[in-house]
Amino acid sequence: MPDKLSFQKTFRALERAISIAQQRHSLISSNISNLDTSNYKAKDINFKTALAQVLESDHEINLARTNPKHIGLGTNSANSIEPFEEKGEWNGYNWVNIDKEMTKLAENNLRYRTATETLLRKIALLKEVIREGGR
Amino acid sequence: MNFLQSLEISATGLYVQRRRMDVIASNLANIETTHTKEGGPYRRKMVVMSPKPVEDFDKVLALKAEGVKIDDIVEDKSPFRKAYNPSHPDANKNGYVLKPNVDLILEITNMLMARRAFEANIAAIKSTKQMALKALEIGK
Repeated sequence: MPDKLSFQKTFRALERAISIAQQRHSLISSNISNLDTSNYKAKDINFKTALAQVLESDHEINLARTNPKHIGLGTNSANSIEPFEEKGEWNGYNWVNIDKEMTKLAENNLRYRTATETLLRKIALLKEVIREGGR
Repeated sequence: MNFLQSLEISATGLYVQRRRMDVIASNLANIETTHTKEGGPYRRKMVVMSPKPVEDFDKVLALKAEGVKIDDIVEDKSPFRKAYNPSHPDANKNGYVLKPNVDLILEITNMLMARRAFEANIAAIKSTKQMALKALEIGK
């Protein structure tokens, strides 16, 4: 990040939140398309813990790697989000609950839009400062 | 982009449900078919599905987000229905005609389920689209 004053932690947090929401959306879509797959178990990621985990790993000091075989300090943030299999109820065919998945879809969509909207407004603020500062 | 992957996943769902409707339509159309090329009455067909990993993007692979695919279309091995109709050309010597093991109620319920699943996938696609469009607004 070039400028610590104008791009603070909020930017990074929002960026990570958007990325996690996107990955979660992929998983939920996958659950919905496998509605009728026998023995299929719904997968999900916990938004809150994933975000906390990713933000925490952002603070870690990353060692430079001059050789791909070098071992880094911590795991690399975004790729380390592990989806878990949901403890759904057996509906006689598989473990997917459509109502739950649709609610999750709507909820996750809202999370995504909230993060994007906040980012938008943050940028609008910056723009305002740039415009007014030049007067 | 991850969203294209989500769209692809939902699209596999749409495709599979459409094929499922084809099979249901075939079962319903043949509900009274008493002889087939293979001999015997028509056997009810079923779709067997399994998860299908999305290709290339290793990130999504790591996330284990999967689409769905049709493994096979299998025949229902349950016994045929019997109807007494001695004048029918397919009747056996006791006067019974073997009729397909298609259950009308079962097919209609399956049809409703396929339709709802299709709609659920459409909803997921709509949601993906909304999110992608929202992302396009960043920096406007």
